[in-house]
Amino acid sequence: QDKKISGRVLDAASNQGLPGVTVLVKGTSTGTATDAEGNYSLNVPNTGTLVFSFIGYTSIEQPIGASSTVNVSLAADTRQLNEVVVTALGVERSRNSLPYAATQVGGEEVTKARNPNFLNSLSGKVSGVNIRQSNNLGGSTNVVIRGNKSLYNSNQALFVVDGVPISNANTNQSDQYTGRGGYDYGNVGADVNPDDIASVSILKGAAATALYGSRASNGVILITTKKGKKGNVNVTLNTGSTMGFMDKSTFPKYQKEYGAGYGAYYGPNEDAYFEQFNRPDFEPGSLYVPFQQDASYGAAFDPNLMVYHWNSLDPTSPTFAQKTPWVAAKNGPSYLYKNTVGFNNNITIDGGSDAGTFKLGYTNTKDKGMLPNSQINKNMVNFAGSLNLTPKLVTSANINFTKIDGLGRYGTGYDSWNPNQQFRQWFQTNVDLKEQKDAYFRNKQNITWNPRSATDLRPIYSDNPYWVRYENYENDERFHYFGNIMATYKFTEWFDVMGRVSLDSYDELQEERNAVGSTGTPFYSRFNRTARETNYDLIANFNKNITEDFTFKGLLGSNFRRHQINSVFAQTNGGLVVPRIYSLSNSVNPLNPPFENDQKYGVDGYFASATFGFKEMAFLDLTARRDQSSTLPKGNNIYYYPSAAGSFVFSELFKDTPWLSYGKARVNYAEVGNDAAVYSVFNVYGKQDQEINSSTRPSVGSFGSIPLFSLPNTRNNPNLKPERTKSFEAGLEMSFLTNRVGFDVTYYKSNTVDQIIPIQVSTTSGFNFQYVNSGEVQNKGFEVTAFVNPIKNDNFSWTLNANWTRNRNKILALAPGTENLVITTYQGGVSSNASVGQPFGTIRGTGYTLNDRGEKVIDSNPASAYYGLYKQSPSTTVIADPNASWIGGVSNTLEYKGISLYFLLDVRHGGQLFNLDTYYGYGTGMYPITAGNNDLGNPSRGPVGEGGGIIFPGVKEDGTPNDIRIANTEGVYGYNQPRQMHVYDAGFIKLREATLTYSLPAAFINRIKPFKGIDLSLTGRNLWIIKKHVPYADPEDNLGAGGNGNYGLGYMSGSYPTYRNVGVNLRFRF
Amino acid sequence: CKDLDEYDNLNPKAATTVPGVSLVSNAQRVLANTVNTPDYNINPFRFYVQHWAATTYPDESQFIIETRSVNRYFWDPLYRDVLSDLNEGKKVITADAVLDPKVKANQLAAVEVLEVYAWSVLVNTFGDVPYTEALNADNVLPKFDDDAAIYADLVTRLDKAIGMFDASAAGLGTGDLYYNGNVANWIKFANSLKLRLGMNYADVDPGKSKTMVEAAAPNVFTSNTDNAKITYLAALPNRNQLYESLVQSGRADFVGTTTLVDPMIATNDPRLPIYFKPVAGSTNFKGGTAGAPNSATNNSIPGAALENPTLPGMLLTYSEVEFLLAEAIERGYAVSGTASEHYNAGVTASILEWGGTATEATAYLAQPSVAYATAAGDWKQKIGFQKWISLYSQPTQAWTEWKRLDAPNLVKPAAAISEIPLRLPYPTTEANLNTTNYKAASAAIGGDVVTSRIFWDKL
Repeated sequence: QDKKISGRVLDAASNQGLPGVTVLVKGTSTGTATDAEGNYSLNVPNTGTLVFSFIGYTSIEQPIGASSTVNVSLAADTRQLNEVVVTALGVERSRNSLPYAATQVGGEEVTKARNPNFLNSLSGKVSGVNIRQSNNLGGSTNVVIRGNKSLYNSNQALFVVDGVPISNANTNQSDQYTGRGGYDYGNVGADVNPDDIASVSILKGAAATALYGSRASNGVILITTKKGKKGNVNVTLNTGSTMGFMDKSTFPKYQKEYGAGYGAYYGPNEDAYFEQFNRPDFEPGSLYVPFQQDASYGAAFDPNLMVYHWNSLDPTSPTFAQKTPWVAAKNGPSYLYKNTVGFNNNITIDGGSDAGTFKLGYTNTKDKGMLPNSQINKNMVNFAGSLNLTPKLVTSANINFTKIDGLGRYGTGYDSWNPNQQFRQWFQTNVDLKEQKDAYFRNKQNITWNPRSATDLRPIYSDNPYWVRYENYENDERFHYFGNIMATYKFTEWFDVMGRVSLDSYDELQEERNAVGSTGTPFYSRFNRTARETNYDLIANFNKNITEDFTFKGLLGSNFRRHQINSVFAQTNGGLVVPRIYSLSNSVNPLNPPFENDQKYGVDGYFASATFGFKEMAFLDLTARRDQSSTLPKGNNIYYYPSAAGSFVFSELFKDTPWLSYGKARVNYAEVGNDAAVYSVFNVYGKQDQEINSSTRPSVGSFGSIPLFSLPNTRNNPNLKPERTKSFEAGLEMSFLTNRVGFDVTYYKSNTVDQIIPIQVSTTSGFNFQYVNSGEVQNKGFEVTAFVNPIKNDNFSWTLNANWTRNRNKILALAPGTENLVITTYQGGVSSNASVGQPFGTIRGTGYTLNDRGEKVIDSNPASAYYGLYKQSPSTTVIADPNASWIGGVSNTLEYKGISLYFLLDVRHGGQLFNLDTYYGYGTGMYPITAGNNDLGNPSRGPVGEGGGIIFPGVKEDGTPNDIRIANTEGVYGYNQPRQMHVYDAGFIKLREATLTYSLPAAFINRIKPFKGIDLSLTGRNLWIIKKHVPYADPEDNLGAGGNGNYGLGYMSGSYPTYRNVGVNLRFRF
Repeated sequence: CKDLDEYDNLNPKAATTVPGVSLVSNAQRVLANTVNTPDYNINPFRFYVQHWAATTYPDESQFIIETRSVNRYFWDPLYRDVLSDLNEGKKVITADAVLDPKVKANQLAAVEVLEVYAWSVLVNTFGDVPYTEALNADNVLPKFDDDAAIYADLVTRLDKAIGMFDASAAGLGTGDLYYNGNVANWIKFANSLKLRLGMNYADVDPGKSKTMVEAAAPNVFTSNTDNAKITYLAALPNRNQLYESLVQSGRADFVGTTTLVDPMIATNDPRLPIYFKPVAGSTNFKGGTAGAPNSATNNSIPGAALENPTLPGMLLTYSEVEFLLAEAIERGYAVSGTASEHYNAGVTASILEWGGTATEATAYLAQPSVAYATAAGDWKQKIGFQKWISLYSQPTQAWTEWKRLDAPNLVKPAAAISEIPLRLPYPTTEANLNTTNYKAASAAIGGDVVTSRIFWDKL
């Protein structure tokens, strides 16, 4: 029956051969791909249809006739409506037949702006996907699709690379993602090499992901890596470098009128702005800066006033024992920050023959951060190969190896390792950072601006920032290997069986230190962690047409998943004996027992799916999965997840309507799950504190030789069952005018019930938390994508893509009798909450008191400590909703001959955050708002009796306009006011990416062999924050990127500035 | 791959059965830490009784409680760690089939005494609290009980416990962080606690007070060696909390107040150079202003004795017992000795407890301004003042005694946001998580404010 057909596929626009085009006998899995020159050959039956498809081009169907040569030209399809989309379990389907929303992003789009973390480069490009990133070097990125569904379990999308589920976990401590401090070690998903990505499919709704069963509730990011193709060996070389420059609108500006102090509390009578110490070697009766005060509500600067500064105390300083003028710092905190530099080099070799294909890639990236002594190196090797052992048996292997080395990641949150705790919250405007730098480098000692006194130079609250960067640094490394081996046996044309074993495995080491001489106890700690996930898949595929018009595809499979996580955390105790030796044996006191973690669990899944098609016009999908999980109580641990989905390509009925190019309606319903965390069923005793959502207290296992045991703070539940998300989705996809303009609208509604939540309970029960299955969270919303291609001719084309997402999240119920679940509490007296009737993550804290007319009431009681300040409401007031009202992106691509200009606007509208930086920093008088003149034209910090002071806008308790003039002293703009005063709109409009690419003309390339192509591009990331509302900071750089997607929402502390990144990239193809 | 049935979902690093005493040991440690720690995020009472003032960050000394959830961090460990672990320890000990019945009785009696102690601290601090329905994981919405009713039950339980002890048998053994298993000491401790609770009744139920005090008095502490205390260790994390705050933190958060330092200077108190250091670079002592920010360099900071990591943490001392006996006599209870004798013994015990000598105590007491007969004020002021000085490192009890005796006369700091608290407000978590019962309790005590009084605080 077989015969051989060969031919060449050309790009209709350039008439160049088109490599990588899928050539498939319709309705079968017989097929091949074109080689680098666009050639193919294939054994085919005598009758049937050949389908030529390629991402970004309109597919073409050609009947198999008598000829043994079939040449076709594919035209670029700006909308890719008929493209092949990778769906759950790696099944490729034509977009036409999809009954649910799935977005595919090409590899080019991901790498375009050369972002080292490919997740960040999805921001603004895909509707329904909320990317939360930080400005931290190598920091975490959270990907939440269609809203937070689970109150406590992870809301992070599942990542699958070539069928291998890989973790997007981060190992950050709870202190990190709740703003108390610590490092952000980044998320494991970022270990995927962007240069190796062929395409990314985003499966958003439950119907698209139902085959993944109990881990499918958060959507799936499917990554398909590049594969070798039959034909010549190709070599691609990429080399790029980027530089970053601070966006000054995201860094504080400081007032330059007043220096150190909290007020006139110093000197022998505690009534002066300066201290007077008895230091015999210094001039008697002199004034000393109140060094130990970390605020700037001190004396007005006066260049004629000579005082002893912190650097007068340092015997090695050129100004030792000398008084210098009392002036604002010449080099403020931004002096610590440097321009960032990044290098990225990649080489990929691929090729293949009839016997198989291979691809080998190597990428090295090096990123130097904005703070001194910070760097992340990545080395990534990928290999993919396939071998056709017999025409019926294909085997393949795919291995990715990534090594990440981090040094000097930035401290986060409210922590001495984060210099912004000083720079944004507690600082003296007279401190010159260049002098701090010189002071550190003179002797490599912690010469801080914040010593205890003129005779005790040990730091009291803040270390020298250079000391922190060079002495109290962290370092980490992660070896990450993931890959699979796979064999497919084709029993018949319509039936094959695939077996696959895949592994995602990483080993990491994180070392942290606090050097001898720092604030706090010196220590060294190490955290070793290994994680392994193994998946065993066996899948049978059926692909048989029932009749000519009625098609059927079926799938039957099993998936056994096994997890193991092992970790040890150990820390020195009581200090370090020998400075600068960082080993556990250098501990002053005997070590406390290291904290061990050993998690083993598994899930067995069986699944089936059936897809029926009628005349390429109507499709029906049915899937079912049965999961059995070891983390649930035995005998009660089997659960079923069904889905049903249908689509109807109604434009098939209107083939004569010229303006309508395409129209499809789709609707689906599905249920998916999320099982319990391991070890949350049985109750055990704790020998060490096991706290959830709480600042960790030191773990205590014994009192000397006496053992201590305690009931854990969280009570487990022997009756747990999985969470379930029930979701409904409907969509309409249309395009017009020969695909020059079109849209895709999706409405979805999902309800997540039986939430597994460690609800916080009254500690009078003996526990802080209890696991329950309760509560319901609803997410509903619209996703819109639209495109228009206003100009398209041989030389010039302009394409505009837009996407818009509006998600509405609401807690419908919690546990009976529970109206509010405190997700976590934050520094500054605010908390993150799930309250019935409210969206997820509302921030509670003290708010304004409003009168009947909605005006802010001022405390008018002269006896009150808050007299003249805003009257505060109870701390349970909801003061901020972190959820954006909508997010969207608009991209423009302009192409003229070989030049392509692309830029992306990324928009977040609404959502609020509480800003601890201004809450403290406005209170300590660093920012311009706290100085300058008042409404009377007098210095606001002057005495009220002499025309100074301030009047806060509002009304008195009797309703009359506020006229209470109060002294402008520490706290009045910050921490003495309601928390609500420091709530800001977190929305923004950003010019997220811009690239200018020039491909050298083929005619030119052909003359300079060995090159097949040379592309030159200029890239830019985060070039311009067009609009924002948070002062002195990037609204995106809150803590929302850490944790599992549930923490840090709407809370900013110790924020890092944004860097504008520009780069050059050169790509050679041989 | 491994069969799913082989996964038992049990954490291999956690225990499912533990020795009952190990839970009691943990409770003892947390109890001692919580009532005495100088960490103002947990225990702000050194500020309230004006032993200390703050340096740079005076919020807590101005009675700002909510910002750092101070009330929650005092409440939580008492319920979640102390009482919950005692309760669990009691269950494990009771279920122990091989334990000698006499030893078991001694262990359970000691647990009972510790529970009574912890409950009394909770009631003295908050007023009505969940009691009868507390410590039941299946009821996360326990009702609050009337503070007087709780006290009445505590007295019953304490009496029962006293009756259970048998000094001829062993007790908690080496796991006993307070008395190393010495049952005779526990009997004295239980009676001394009864004396303390009995005196708390003095203003509300003088009859009951008299009965309790007279019954307890013959069996109370007779010297400092009887003190209920935890002896901390030199190594982290079992050092005295004072050491952690004053030395290990590297901070300088506290100075003495004029309220305490001035009278100690005026009376040549031998404890002054122990309690405080002279101002840096001088030999003079100087107190700071309570409730205001103060310079750590121009004022006296806490003394070197407090920087000793192994300084014991006191739960109940002989000195306190003597002051209670002096008071009992002034109130006309039938207790041996004279008020003056007990007063002198209390002062002397305090000085000895802090490392002073008997000679110093005698000289101190000989001064007319100190001597019981001639010191200023009525008996309440005399005893209250000395007791206030003696409870220097027991802030929770110092605050309780100040509330009860209203002596010494403390003046509310100028910058305070409220009166000196007579109780702590309930934690916000209770208001959020147990709302209905919280509201009922707030109404019952006259409002969840710092000025509502504990039932025994009549005057």
